[in-house]
Amino acid sequence: MTKRNRVFVWMLLPALVLLSLRIYLPVAQGFLLAFRQYNVLNLSDTSFNGLANFRAVVLDANVSFLRILLNTFFWVAGSLVLQFLLGFTLALLLRQPFRGRGLYASCVFYAWALSGFAIGLVWAWLFNGQFGLVNDVLLRLGIIRHQIGFLSNPRFAMMSVIVANVWYGIPFFAIMLLAALQSVPRELYESAEVEGAGKARQFFSITIPYVLPTIVSTTLLRTMWIMNFPDIIYGMTDGGPVNSTTTLSIQMINKVFQEYDYGQGAAIGVIIMVILFSYAFFYLSVASKSEVRL
Amino acid sequence: MSRGKPTILTCGKVVLLAVFFLFAVTPLYWIIITSLKESKEIYTFPLLYFPAHPSLESYRKLFGFAKFWIYFRNSLLLAALAATAALFICLISGYGLSRYPLRKSKKVILLGLYFTQMVPGFLVMVPLFTMLAQLHLTDNLVALGAVYAMSIAFGTIMAMSFFDRIPPSLEEAALIDGCSTLQALFRVVLPVTLPGIVAIFSFEFVGFWNELFLAVMFLSAESNLTVPVALNSFISKAGVSWDVMSAGIVTSLLPTLIVFGFGQKFIVAGLTEGSVKG
Repeated sequence: MTKRNRVFVWMLLPALVLLSLRIYLPVAQGFLLAFRQYNVLNLSDTSFNGLANFRAVVLDANVSFLRILLNTFFWVAGSLVLQFLLGFTLALLLRQPFRGRGLYASCVFYAWALSGFAIGLVWAWLFNGQFGLVNDVLLRLGIIRHQIGFLSNPRFAMMSVIVANVWYGIPFFAIMLLAALQSVPRELYESAEVEGAGKARQFFSITIPYVLPTIVSTTLLRTMWIMNFPDIIYGMTDGGPVNSTTTLSIQMINKVFQEYDYGQGAAIGVIIMVILFSYAFFYLSVASKSEVRL
Repeated sequence: MSRGKPTILTCGKVVLLAVFFLFAVTPLYWIIITSLKESKEIYTFPLLYFPAHPSLESYRKLFGFAKFWIYFRNSLLLAALAATAALFICLISGYGLSRYPLRKSKKVILLGLYFTQMVPGFLVMVPLFTMLAQLHLTDNLVALGAVYAMSIAFGTIMAMSFFDRIPPSLEEAALIDGCSTLQALFRVVLPVTLPGIVAIFSFEFVGFWNELFLAVMFLSAESNLTVPVALNSFISKAGVSWDVMSAGIVTSLLPTLIVFGFGQKFIVAGLTEGSVKG
């Protein structure tokens, strides 16, 4: 290696050291913690306890683990599908330039910069059972006769937190997909036009294949973020009512912040990582196959 | 193009754009309006879509009470300084990665950077906390800022893709003139990557300003709290109602809204550059 090339290696060193301290080393410790007795309220015994933390999490008497898994599934799948569909629609709408497009984009993209927790609080206020705007609008439009306790009724709570998360996540997909759409070569559409292909045909045989790599990478990244993102639920319901919005990441927070049981919290973290790893592996292998077919 | 069809299509588009606009803007409008209402008006039914007597009373209460301006200053300093530090590191490592000569190990490093996006924050939080506790650095804003400034994975990827678009011939000319590699980076390359710099700074600033859970865990002294932590404590404290709460929320949203307003164009470019590639 030349002397000049060695400089680039040195430039990477600080970042790698910092990331090791910030992520890699703590992750390794977190994995070990998951197999240890570690409750801050009782630190006299922090011995290894095998799978006891995992057993305690799965067999929790307060909330069924199956319920948590189902909640997590609905939270992730519901948010992701709606964020993607609406974000893609918005990107398609913004594709052709129009007057004031830049300003319009600011107005529909700004949510990206806001704090998830504050967004949770805002939506908790919008969904308020007595003085919330959502109830007021639905009453005025005659869609409902009586106010609904969106966040106090287990039937509506999950739907409500998903609506808030969809609102928060549309800009991400719209921004990413808009960039991808704008890189589709125009000649492709022109030659399709010449060959007499209709708009729908053009959409499915040019647009979709062209932006597919972006769709694959954004949906994968977003799945991980939503799965690891308790902020909105924390601000709105903190898992309630009656655990109807308790997801894995919310359960992890509660183990750490309310029960001070770091061992069980870490165990949930390990469960999340195992799920995400298998998901990413499965997703990428299926995605690369389908790309080849197209 | 024929004339009849596009008009229906355009109408549909305009309606859809209007729906998206309303959906996007309403929550922000509503929280701002709430913060400008008198507390009586907040709890009257039917709701007032515009305050009858707009007032800044809620903000007066907010800043008069609970040292809110200290939290605000803490958050601002923390986010701005940590983002500056992170930006600095990201630029150096992103440049190094972009010009990195070895293909295979570069791939490994990139995978390592993407891996950090998969890790649940909470799994890392507890070991970090115990590490800092051993060093007696908990409840310390500088230490928390240092931890924030170490969150550089995504920023490094963003910086790398910005540098990838700058031809190496540019800095080679500077090297021939006798600059060192670092000098070439700061004097020749950086000035042409200003959009990238704005994007990375905004991205980091927004992330640090909004961070809640690490701050809740690490900070406890009243004078050390950040805005999100203060908002979090408002929830549990009885007696804080939606007038002060809404003012607090609006105050907490303002700085990132301003950063987004200024940096939007660059942020959009930066986000798309950063992750589509992987």
